[in-house]
Parts: sequence; C-alpha cells; structure tokens
Amino acid sequence: MSTTEEKEQTAGEQGGEHGPEEATHEPVKPGAWRFLIPIVAFGAGFVSLLVLGWVIFPHLLYGEKQQPVDFSHVVHQEAVDEGCESCHFFREDGSFSGIPKLENCVQCHEEPMGESSEEAKFIAEYVEPGKEIPWHVYARQPQCAFFSHAAHVKMAELECAKCHGPVGDSDHARPYQYNRLTKYSRDIWGWNIAGFKKKTADRMKMDDCAECHEESKGHKDACFVCHK
Amino acid sequence: MKEVHHKGHGNEHHKGHGRTYKYGMVIDLDKCTGCGACMVACMAENNLPFRKDNTNDRLTQNFWMRVYKISNGRPFPDSEICYIPRPCQHCEGYDHHHHTPCVSVCPATATDYSHETGIVSQIYTRCFGCRYCMAACPYHVRVFNWWDPKWPKGMNKYLNPDVSVRMRGVVEKCSFCYHRLQRARNKAYVEGRREVHEDEYQTACTQACPAGAVTFGDLINPKHKVYKLKDSPYAFRLLEKLGTNPKVYYVSTKDWVRKAGKVFLGNEGRG
Amino acid sequence: MDRRTFLEILVGSTAGAGAGFMLTPVNWKLMDDVTIWTQEVWPDFFAGIPERGEVTHANSVCNLCPGGCGITVRKVADRATKIEGRRGYPVNDGGICILGAAGLQLLYGPWRVPSPLRRVGKPGSGKFEKISWEEAISEVVRKLSVLRRKGKAHTVASILGSDRGTVPNLFARFLKAYGSPNFICTTSAEDTSELALKLMQGGKASAGYDLERANFILSFGSGLIEGWGSPVRVIKAHSLWRSGNLRKRATVVQIEPRLSNTAAKADNWYPVNPGTEAALALGLAHVIIRESLYNIYFIRNHTSGFEDWTDSAGNTHMGFKRLVLTEYTPDAVSRTTGIAAKKIVKLARAFARARRPLAVWGRGKGSVSGSLYECMAVHALNALVGNINKPGGVSVRPEIATHTWPRVYQDATALAGFSRSRIDGANTNRYPLTKYLPDRWPQIISRKEAGTIQALFVHDADPYYTTLDTSAVAKAFEQIPFVVSFSSYLDETAFHSDLILPNHHYLERWEDLPTPIGLQKPMLSLLRPVVSPQFDTRHVGDVLMTIARSLGGAVANAFPWRNYKALLKETMGDKWSTMKKTGYVEEADYQPPIWKDAFATRSRRFEFYTTALKRAGMKRNKDLDYLPHYEPITPEGDSETYPLTLIPYELIRLADGAIGNPPFCTKAVEMTELKGNDIFVEINPKTAGDYGLAKGRYAMLETPKGKAKVLVHLSEGIMPGLIGMPKGLGHAGYDGYLAGKGVNVNSLMGVVEDPISGLCATWGIQAKLTSV
Repeated sequence: MSTTEEKEQTAGEQGGEHGPEEATHEPVKPGAWRFLIPIVAFGAGFVSLLVLGWVIFPHLLYGEKQQPVDFSHVVHQEAVDEGCESCHFFREDGSFSGIPKLENCVQCHEEPMGESSEEAKFIAEYVEPGKEIPWHVYARQPQCAFFSHAAHVKMAELECAKCHGPVGDSDHARPYQYNRLTKYSRDIWGWNIAGFKKKTADRMKMDDCAECHEESKGHKDACFVCHK
Repeated sequence: MKEVHHKGHGNEHHKGHGRTYKYGMVIDLDKCTGCGACMVACMAENNLPFRKDNTNDRLTQNFWMRVYKISNGRPFPDSEICYIPRPCQHCEGYDHHHHTPCVSVCPATATDYSHETGIVSQIYTRCFGCRYCMAACPYHVRVFNWWDPKWPKGMNKYLNPDVSVRMRGVVEKCSFCYHRLQRARNKAYVEGRREVHEDEYQTACTQACPAGAVTFGDLINPKHKVYKLKDSPYAFRLLEKLGTNPKVYYVSTKDWVRKAGKVFLGNEGRG
Repeated sequence: MDRRTFLEILVGSTAGAGAGFMLTPVNWKLMDDVTIWTQEVWPDFFAGIPERGEVTHANSVCNLCPGGCGITVRKVADRATKIEGRRGYPVNDGGICILGAAGLQLLYGPWRVPSPLRRVGKPGSGKFEKISWEEAISEVVRKLSVLRRKGKAHTVASILGSDRGTVPNLFARFLKAYGSPNFICTTSAEDTSELALKLMQGGKASAGYDLERANFILSFGSGLIEGWGSPVRVIKAHSLWRSGNLRKRATVVQIEPRLSNTAAKADNWYPVNPGTEAALALGLAHVIIRESLYNIYFIRNHTSGFEDWTDSAGNTHMGFKRLVLTEYTPDAVSRTTGIAAKKIVKLARAFARARRPLAVWGRGKGSVSGSLYECMAVHALNALVGNINKPGGVSVRPEIATHTWPRVYQDATALAGFSRSRIDGANTNRYPLTKYLPDRWPQIISRKEAGTIQALFVHDADPYYTTLDTSAVAKAFEQIPFVVSFSSYLDETAFHSDLILPNHHYLERWEDLPTPIGLQKPMLSLLRPVVSPQFDTRHVGDVLMTIARSLGGAVANAFPWRNYKALLKETMGDKWSTMKKTGYVEEADYQPPIWKDAFATRSRRFEFYTTALKRAGMKRNKDLDYLPHYEPITPEGDSETYPLTLIPYELIRLADGAIGNPPFCTKAVEMTELKGNDIFVEINPKTAGDYGLAKGRYAMLETPKGKAKVLVHLSEGIMPGLIGMPKGLGHAGYDGYLAGKGVNVNSLMGVVEDPISGLCATWGIQAKLTSV
C-alpha cells in the first residue's frame, strides 16, 4: 500500500502553502527558512509595540478638549499696553491672577469690539449671562506644588515664555490635552511622550524646576521652597 | 542687611541667596491659659481632618499643635497644673552635625532641614509612611494618617488651598505655617523687597493666641521680639539635654515647670 | 501550522513585544502617572482638593457667645476658609477663642438645617420633611390665627437667648401686638449681676469691669480664662496681669473648690467649700471693716446702710457693718468655708491694701444665674475698697441708644392677652424684680393641666439641652402642641420641634449686637454676611415680619418696615453709615459718672441696705433680707443616700450653651474629660479610696434627678467629697461628631431657686458614685 508516490504526495501537500512554483524551483531544506519565523514574529511584536507605545499610547492616555472660546493672544497683544501683565497681573497680596476672570474681559468686551464670530459667541454665551469661562489651564500645577510667579517674574526677572513658551504669539487656542489617569495637562509632562525636551518651556515637571534652580542658585533648593 | 550671628550654631551660607533665618518660637507658659485656640486655629489653617470616632484618642488623632497639661503631682490643695503648647520643635542639632532626629532617619528624603529658614519640612507626596520619623522624634510632634481625610458633605468648602490635603498612609507635622512665609514672600517680591517683615510672617497659632503667649520670629534677628525673649532667665527648651537644639523656647517663672520641661531623670539637673 | 511554528510565533512576537515595549515610554510614563494618581486623584475622591482663587478678607462680629469679638474671615473666591480675630478691634484686637476659630465648621457642617422642615414622625423622632417657605409660614400663620380667634393669644410664648438688639425686640414686639406676655429669655449670671447693681446702685445698667487696670483680682469662682465675660478680652487682661517684672505683676486670687485653669494660673487658690463663697466675701469684709481698711471717704459720703440707721418711722435698722462684724468673724467664716481664719485675714488685708483691687463674681463662664445675695456680698467688697466707677474697678455701663420704634397699637385681643400673667411667674408678687424665669416654666407646664402653652417659638436658645433637669423639660415639651424653632442648627430643641424655620447662619446675615459682656464702654456692632446663604434659609427678622403681615390687622400694622434690613438701617439711624463702614460704633470717651452722680437709688448713694428690694413688695421683714448676707443655697438630695456633691464645671474647649461644640473643639477636649463616648468625672484620690473607686474605671453616678455611667478620673485638684463633671457634653442633636458623646450634666441637676430673684442658683447636687 505504501508507495514512494504517496510519500512525495504527502511531502508536496506539506509544502503546499509555499505554492507549487517555490517547490519546483529551489528545493529548500526543511529548516532553512524556519529560522525566519521567530525573527519575523519578533519583529512584528517589536514594531507593533513600538507603534503602540509611541503612536497609539499617547492617544489612549490623553484626552483632548477644545477651549470654550478660540482666543487669539496676537489680537489681544496688539490691543493692550502692558504686555502679558495687562491681563495676567499680580494682585496686591503678591498672588498671581493667572487666567483672567470674566470681569477682566468685560472691562473691554461689554459690547462686541470686532466682527469675529468667536467674540460674538463669547459675548452671547458668557458675557451676557455673566458666566465664567471654563478655560482649560495648560500650565496647571498639582496641588502639592507651590509656584510663586512673584519670585520668578518679579525677583528673578524670568520671561513668561521661559516656562510657558511663546503663548503670546498664538493666534488660536490650541487644543487642551489632559492625562486621563492623572488629570494633569499634557504640558506638564511635555508633548513628547518620551519626555524629551528641546527648550525649557517644553516640560514643567519638578525636575525641570530643579534643573533651573540648580543652574541659577547652585543647589536644587529645600523641598518646602516649592511644596506645600 | 548683613547677617547677624547669634551665639548659637550652624548659620551656614548658601550660594545665591545669602541671607539665612532661623524661625523659631517663644511660648510664655505664665500667659498660656490652655484655652486651645492655637490647636483649633492650626487645624483650620492646615486642613487637619477629624473623625466621629477618634475623639481624644492619642494614638490616632492628628494634631500639629497639641497643648499638653502637666501637674506638679502634689496633693490637694497644693497641686498645680500648667499647659504646654507643643508645635514641631524644628530641631537644628549642634555644630554643623545637623542631627534633626526625624530628618536623619527618613529613608525617603520626605523631610529635610532647610538651612535657609531653619524649618523642618514634610513632603507628603514623598512620604511612604514607614513612620521611622515618628519613632525618632522625642517630642511626638509627628502624626500618621490612619485614614483618608474625609469631610462631611460641603465642609470641604473651608479648606485652605495653600496647604495640601494629606492622603492615608503618610506622616504629617507642623510646618511653622510655611505657606504663610510663601504668601508673605510673594507680597514682598511684588513690592520689590527680598525681606519679609516680622508681622508679615506669623504662624496661625501665634496669630490666634488670645493670651499673646506665643511669639514667633527670626531667632537670629535682633529686631525680632523672639531674639530677646529667648534669652530670658526663665527660658528653657523641652528635653534640652538630648542635643536636638530645638527652636521652640518656653518661658515659665515656675521652677517645677522648667524642671518638668527639661525632663531630668534621677539626680540629673539638681542643685 | 504545527505546534512548533505556533510556539515560535508566540514566543518570538512576545519577546519582540517585550523588547519593543522596553523601548517605548509607556512603562516609565505609566509608573509616573500612577504615582501622581495616588497623590492627586486619590485624595480628591475623599477630601475634595480645595479650589484656588482670589483671596479677600471680610470683617464681621462673632456672636457664638456674648463676648462679641471682631472677626476677619479669609475668603478664597466665594468660600470662607478661615476665621481670625480682627486686628485693632476694641474687644479682642486680633485674638480669637477656640470656639470662634471653629465657626466655619458650624457654617458648612451637616448639622445645618437645610430648609424649612416639618416634623412627620412622632415628636422627638427626628423625622422631618422638607417644605417650602410659603408652606411653612402659612402653617404658623394658620395656627396663630386660630389661637388668637379662640382668645388664646396669651398661650403663645417665645424663648430667646437674649433680649437685646433688634431681633429680640422684634419678637417682644410681635408678642405684644399679637397679645401674649410670655416673652422669655434664657438667663445667666449677667441677669443676677444686673439685678444686684439695680438694687445697690439703682438704674438699669450692666457691670463693666476694668480688668486691664486692676492689679489685685479676687475672683469668686469666675472662670476668668475659661470663657467668663468676653473670653478673649479677659484672657488678654490676664496676660497683662502676667506681664513684666515679677514684683509688679498683678495678683490673682481664685476662690473655688476645684483647681480650674483660672485657679491653676492664679497666684493663690483658696479651695472654698462650694456654695459658701458669700460667707467668705463677708468674712473678708469683716476684716476690712474691723481693721478700717475700707475707703472711708466713699463709705461715709456715698453709701447708705453701712452704719445702723433709723427710718422715718423711728425704727432702727441694722447696717452692713454691724451685720458683718457680729456674724462673719474669721473664725465663724472659717468653719463655714473651710478656709483657715489666718488666711482670711491675710487675704482681706492684701485685697484692701492693693492699689487697684477688684472683686469679680459669676461662677465658671457665668452661664448659671446664681445667688443674688452672693453677688451682692461680692459687690459690697468692691464698694468697701471704693472701686465703683474708678479705674481698675467696676462701673456701670449703659447701652448706646438707637432709634426707638413707633408704639405698638394693641387691639382688644392683644390687650386682653397681654395683660394675663406670665407663664414663668416672673414680674409677679413673688418675684417682682425678675424679668424672666426660664428655668421655672418646664415645672409649671408639667404641673398644670395641658394647654398652658399652645405654641412656643425658640430662637437663639436651646432650652431642651441647657435647662437643668432635662427630663422635666422633655415632659414640658410634650405638653406643647406646636413648637417652632428658628435655629440654624439641628440642636436638641429643633429636634423636638414641629416646625423648623432656619435662620441664616451668623456669617450669612445682618444683625446688630449690643455691647460685649463686661465691657466698660458702650458699643454697638454689626453682624454682616460674609458668605451668601449656603442653604435655603431666611433671616428670622424677615420671617417674623412676614408672619405678622399675614396675620393682618393690628399685628401687621405693628411692622411697617419693608424688610429686616430696612428696619435695621432705620433703627441704627445716624450710626448706620459708621457701622457699615467700620463694623461698629463705640463710645470710646465714655466715662462712668463720678460718685456724686453715680447712684440712682432713692438715697442717691450706694445702698448696702437695699431699699429698692424693700419697696418691691417682697414679703420680708427682717433687716437681714435687705443686706448682702450668706444664705446657703442647699443642693437637692439627702446626704445619707447621696453622700457626695456633684459640681458641674465649665471648659473653654467645650461650648455648653445654645451652640453645640464643633468637631475641632471636641477634638481638643482633654483625654481626662472624654474618651470615645465616655465622660469622666473628676474626684480626689481620697474620695476614690473612701468609696472604692479606681482610676480609669467605670462608675455609676446617681443624683436625685438621674443616673449615668461615667469613667473615673483621679485628680489632686478637686476637694475631697466633690465630683466634678464637665458641662457641654451629652448632646443628642447635631450630628455624630457631637451627639452621643458623654453625658449632659444638666440632666443630673435640678433647679434650686434663688429666694429673691427666683433665678436658678444651682451650684451642685447631692450624688452617689458607685463602681460598676
């Protein structure tokens, strides 16, 4: 019953997945290509995880929200006299006002000042009902951190852009991304998912504070300087 | 202004900001009435939690400022009592061998001694709750959070945003209201000053004390009230012989109180 | 695919994935994020991380006690985050007491009444339903109209915490226009002190103590640093006494049977047998008179009844001097008080020879009215040393006059009801001098048949908790078909009410406050909203006016004001603008009248022998009855069954009045006063030995009024034979942070009335303590 034909047939069936052409050309030794399997598998796993980690992961980790009003710093910079401090000012007690409250905006925007549809929306949705604008704060620091704008801006005379980047030149409010796990703004870790930075303004983690303190003061400072 | 050297120790300079301070306290026990306003002012200022079931449980209760009651132990009617308010003593240690008991044992660097201000910090987010510091502190100023802080509904409205709320499993303690120094500095900086005035930085307990028994300031600044007060012949510090060099001084004209505060054993300190 | 291939692919891809993963930031990033999650997001679940915002400060006045301290509230955005003492304020200049500092817990706490509530369960079950304000007010109006129509207007009563200021006056006015004489206020030592001043000096005024300038303070049981008077102000004075050179310091002498904080801080503590303070005061007077150490000029020219005297009918009357010299020799007093005769002589000399001696009265915080004769005896000491209206002494202090309201027009119903006699028996032949007898009505109601009080309004008071013999109060409440509470908190009285119409919290409302207790200079201060109302509450003044208006007729006409704020503004008149700006008006240059003009008695002199009392129609004929003398206030209970004496004591860390202790303050209570839910009683080790009691063990405390399980604390600071027990615990209302902790000492006490004023003069009760 058992013949050579049968054996060949069986072998042919076995190699069938490589197609008849391959089989007829160079007869490959059964183990010659097999070593590729783990390598290809490794490569596939490797590449897919890299893609997952570098490309997909940030999309999973970060959620995105649009600012309630598309604010143009450029337009406002032109209109005000005292630069950033016109709206982001120090209070008498030394605290920093941060994002302006509606009342600051209303000082100029009681009535529409231009033709922009965003301004019209802003007036209709916030000014008229007297509702605070729920801005998303890109640079919001965690509650355990104390940051003194007075110390940095007034005493050390740092430029706003040193930490905040060229926000003043933005013509549109960029989307706000936040970490779904920690609720932090993406700006704290920085937009590079690996945490690489090119400029000081790229990241706002504690190490970045310490780096600058070490440069300027010679030491990283005591914990209580920035913690509360 | 040039720095003033006190007969004390360890006024080290650092690069950058030259001026150093030694914030400390002088508490007049003759004036202290044991009313407890300091305790509550501290709790309110520093977001201290409270619970329904741990009233008066020394093991599980959180106090940063605790008022102790001591007695002279004599029979009626010769018995006397005295109250001793006890914040963190902010120990400095002696002779550059800084030996703040808690700092030296912390494996997480969650607590450090600031050479600039003389304040011992506690960083809750860094602490992992091993409680070595609690064992090391001879003054029992450190407390452990056995529970997550939980406020009755709506009561978190009164929380002070300048002080973090602490989670379960970390140690906390009096900070000399460090956030008030941060606040005061902000104001000074905006006004173009580096120096903070004496009255701009006062702890919550000092401010609240109806008896004016607590005085707070820079122990090495001759212009501050504490500078003179601490040199009173009636001044003493708790457990002085341990060499912790605490920055909280007490004043009492009563001998038995001073002796009790120094805690002598057997024949020590007699004569 | 064979098994081998499968495994190769699996292992290969897993290894590749692993290697790839190590080259991604995912692990490092997630590790960091998880750490952050634990420190930022986790606590937020429990605590709610406080929001940041602009910091502002708002000034107001604290009204948690009659001390009237100025406060500055630190706000972050619209949240109140901290109460601090107001700097530069005349009363407390920056200081704050423990209760005042915890005020925000009362504001934001779960013990607030969130909206009008109507009882749905059985009385006292604590089951309420939320109703609208319109519904709540119309229910009150309905009940009141029916009562009035039935000619039962006089069966409506109100209990308030004070009778000063616009809000209490609104209640009085309402009852007057409606037709009831039963405007009742809770009383305190201040009432007895005012009465003593009225009898001995004439006129209506409160006592002002120049504590700051006194240099010898003789305190008859007053808890000077434990909440007596205006607490922060007195503690500040105490610090003045303790300042400077040891020799120049003031001397403080404390007379009381227990080593209180005041006694502990005093230069000398005289543990007197409880209740015999008047005898000691008169013993001191004896020495002062015998040795001619008194102010001869004052006694001769400005007092009457010191020497024996003859009236117009030719009858000779005994003077204070003869009484004191014959009855109160140091030896006799020593036997009564337990203080050695030598010590009495020494103390009397030291007091009288001091540059600015001052005797003060009012046990503990002064919450119990106390004995009138005792108060008079202490005041007589002040007269002997001539410190009346003098620096460092005691002076009379009037109130700042405000705009008077138009007269109330009473219709026939109102007139009929208003002329009925008061339910509490005050202002009757028996007690002609007393305005209110709040401790008597529970007894009266439970004795008489039902229907004596058909409706009760309670505001700014918690009689269900604070009145002695609480079980009698509970019974009385059962007899009242309609109880309305205006409390902001779910206190005991509110808990047992049929309707709660919550007032704004003191940090949410406008109101005027009279001069803080014990101050020499008249003052008027303004309570103002620091935060917007946190719940669906309404100002009690507005609610009362709405009720009046809905009742219509003459009642409505008595309230012509638009709303409470308009009324307040009108009443303050020309002072309003200053008050609004600075928070208070003060007669800073007020000087008490000089001796020549100081006394409004019939003799125009200080009267040791009080003729006013005689004229008041008291049915008494002995000279002794009109002179300060020692008349024991005997505690209830027979000493066979109850061999020990229970004395309640007050702590500054425990609010024991109408306000329940906030959690922060309860946390600060000593471990020897409260442990878990158990209260401690304080006894001398000797007492413990005599009765087989041990430290830290449970014991059963029994009095004629009730019993309670307590823990035993041994202290050398209490006289043998006494049991000390802190006031302010054992609440049933509020919340688990206070309710159920300890025992309400008031429930173990009974009311012992003062023979003249009828006010509660209880200082203790006989008791039994057995180990269990």
